[in-house]
Formats: sequence, structure tokens, C-alpha cells
Amino acid sequence: MVNLITSYNRSKFRAPLEAMHRDRKKVFVDALKWDVPVVDGQYEIDQFDTDAAIYLVALAPETQRHLGSVRLLPTTGPHLLSEVFPFLCDKGVPVGDDIWEITRLCTAPAKDIEPRLVRRRLATAMCEFGLLYGINRYTCVTHVQYLSNLLAVGWECELLGEPRQVDRDVVGALSISISPATLQLFREKLGSRTPVLQLDAFAAAA
Amino acid sequence: MSSFDDVQEFVGQANRVSDMNGLRSLLEDTVKSLGFDYFALLHHVDLSRRTADYVRLIQYPQAWKEKSVSQDYYSDDPILAVAQKSVTPFLWTDVPRLLQLTRRQEEILNNAHLSGMGDGVTVPINIPGEFAGSCSFCMRTGRDIPLSALPTAQYLGCFAFQAARRVVEMEVTAKPAIEEAQQRLSPRQLDCVILAGRGKSDRDVGQLLGISGQTVHQHIEEAKRRFNVATRQQLIVRALFDSQITFADLMN
Repeated sequence: MVNLITSYNRSKFRAPLEAMHRDRKKVFVDALKWDVPVVDGQYEIDQFDTDAAIYLVALAPETQRHLGSVRLLPTTGPHLLSEVFPFLCDKGVPVGDDIWEITRLCTAPAKDIEPRLVRRRLATAMCEFGLLYGINRYTCVTHVQYLSNLLAVGWECELLGEPRQVDRDVVGALSISISPATLQLFREKLGSRTPVLQLDAFAAAA
Repeated sequence: MSSFDDVQEFVGQANRVSDMNGLRSLLEDTVKSLGFDYFALLHHVDLSRRTADYVRLIQYPQAWKEKSVSQDYYSDDPILAVAQKSVTPFLWTDVPRLLQLTRRQEEILNNAHLSGMGDGVTVPINIPGEFAGSCSFCMRTGRDIPLSALPTAQYLGCFAFQAARRVVEMEVTAKPAIEEAQQRLSPRQLDCVILAGRGKSDRDVGQLLGISGQTVHQHIEEAKRRFNVATRQQLIVRALFDSQITFADLMN
């Protein structure tokens, strides 16, 4: 299951969210060496982790342990592409109620977790969330080396501008269309016919 | 129009192409506008393979194509060897640094050069559960590689390969190969074989996949039957050899 966590139900998920920020620090700062802020020496939290952010968080069923997560931001407010990487979009940063941004997709760095399976579950949850919220497309900043995988998995991607060398990597801005067909495909891969997204009443009220 | 716009146009049109020849001519124009002379999209499978479920779209000098087939260079090709282990694109000039070359591999690189193949760049396309693959762009001997076009070339490579994969899928669906189907592992079997190859027990695999250890055991047994092998070790080696799983799957 993947939990939908908004500013409305955040208080119920304090421990898993802390675990998410700890894992984000281990993945993005310790392993990938990104230059992003660290709070209290153990949490990766940046200027976009605000009340506007929505998190999809995969938790282990019984232990509620953090397995993986992704952060979604409305493009109508400040987000990574508009504030940090606007130069990746040749025709301006796409903005609208039906466009949200994907950032900080990560899986917990533990030996007994299979990243590919967690990612599959998160991908399905992102489709479900998109269709539920009336999102037509996601934008995201990605290393171009991940692109062939995204395409093979079945995401309908388009590049928003010429990829650029940023430090040692080539990065690009992607637009990803969301449709019921994408959800169908991902559910087949997951071997599931029912939603993976866990909605609770408070989140739905958002 | 910039060469990036040409690539964008390619991406738009490639989604609608329905046969390999259409893709070839579309790609030829785009590759030229990026400043390269030749290209190759390949799944790294044995040339003697009888079925058509893999990507193989090569626009290299005729002399080199003939030479590499007649000398059976394919299985020792150092470029493909690096691509199989690599995540990011690499320049061919870096290959001697990335790989301890055997004498035969040095011979292959020398002969490629003599047959008109100059500098090049290869974009690895390694998808879990698929044959290892790559997309290469290269120059005629003596021409400089357009270094500023490399990010866009990487982007083009990903979309071109995806388009080729889609065309192959359409063609294979049209003509199913029965013998091959018997040897292809199902997605669930692949999951189990990959995790077993990472040293996990049936029970651990089951927990990760949300199924019982007994079911995992059955998947593995069925996979062994498909390859007609007796042990797990043989199964993993066979699946690797066949590129149904990749080194990246096992060592991530």
C-alpha cells in the first residue's frame, strides 16, 4: 500500500515522514552526493517541503516502516523546475492546476528492500493520484541516463528542452502524460487490479 | 531549426512509425542533423538467433559490416562489453581505459578504424528483464565528434531505442515464434530468478514479492524446466547468457 499524506493528515504520519526524511538524506546526500540542505544532521528537508507538498509514501503493512516515497508539488506554486532548473525548459516552465511536479523519488536504502518493486508500486500510486486529482501530466527533472528505463516502463515522456550538463551529469526536464491506459499498464505489471493508494478521510478532504 | 528541434520532431514522428525501414530513414536524417555519420541500435544477442524479438538497426560502413560478420567479431566486441556494464554514455576513445583489452579486442578496434569507423559514443540501454542493449553514434574516420551534441545524442538514443523496441514488439506479435516462447521467462519468473541471483532464499524472495516461499520455489522450478537445466546456478547463468536478466539486475 502507498499512503497519501497531505498537510491535513500529516500529524498521523509523523514517524513515517521522519523516516522518509532520514532515508532521503541517506540516498540523496550520502549516496548520490547532492548538494541539498540537511536538518539536524540527519534529515534532508528543503524549501519545497511545505504544506503545499503531497507525499506518496510506501509503508510496510505491519511495521509501518518507510520503504520508499515521492514528493509531489503543484506547479502553480514554487517548485524545483520553476525555482532551480527553469533553463531546462525551452518554451517556459509548464504551469497549471492539471500539472504537478515529481521530486525526491527514493527507495529506502536497506538490504531487504527490493527497489524495483517499491518503484513499481509508487509509479502505480502516482497514476492513481493523478487520475484522482485531475492531473494530466507530471513534470520532473531527471538524469538522462534514467530516460530509457522510464520509457521502457511505459511512462509517456516528452523532453521540455535541450538536456544540459549539470556538474557531472546530463539532466533534462520531462513532461509525463497520465492516462487511464498508463494506470492499466502499471497495474498489470504490479499484478493488481485494485488501487494501491491508501486514502484516508482527512487526505480526501484536501 | 536547431538540432534539438530536429530530435523533438523525430520523437513525435517515431511514435507513429510502424516498420523498421521507416524508422531507419527517419533516424538517418536526425543523426545527420546532429552531426554524426553512422548509428547502430542493438540488443546484444547472438547473431545466430533465429527469432526476431530483438532490436538490430545498423547504419555502419558496408566494409565494416561485412568484416565484423565474417570474422565473428560480435561476441568479443569491446564497445558492447563496456555498454553492458555501464550506466552512462561513454566515448569510444575511453574504451581502453574502461576495459582491459584483449589482443582480439584491440584487433577489432583497429579493424573498425581501417574500415572507416572513426570516433563514436555509445549510450547503454540496460532495462531490467530485457536483453542488454545500446545505441551508438559515430563518425567517418578522420572527422571530429560533435562534443556539444552529446547530451542531445543521449536523449535521441533513448527515444530511438524505445521506438525500435515498439516496432519489434509489433512485428513479433504479428508472427509469434513458438520455440522462443518456451524459453522466455515470465515476468514473475524473472523477478524470482533475479532475486535468487542476488543470493536471496525462497522465503526472502517471497516476502519481497508478497507471495509464499513455496510459490517462489515453483516459479524457479518452472524456469529451470524452460531452460532445461538442473540447478539454480545453471538457471542464473543461462538467463544471464541469454540477456533475459542483466548484470545490473544482479548487482544493483
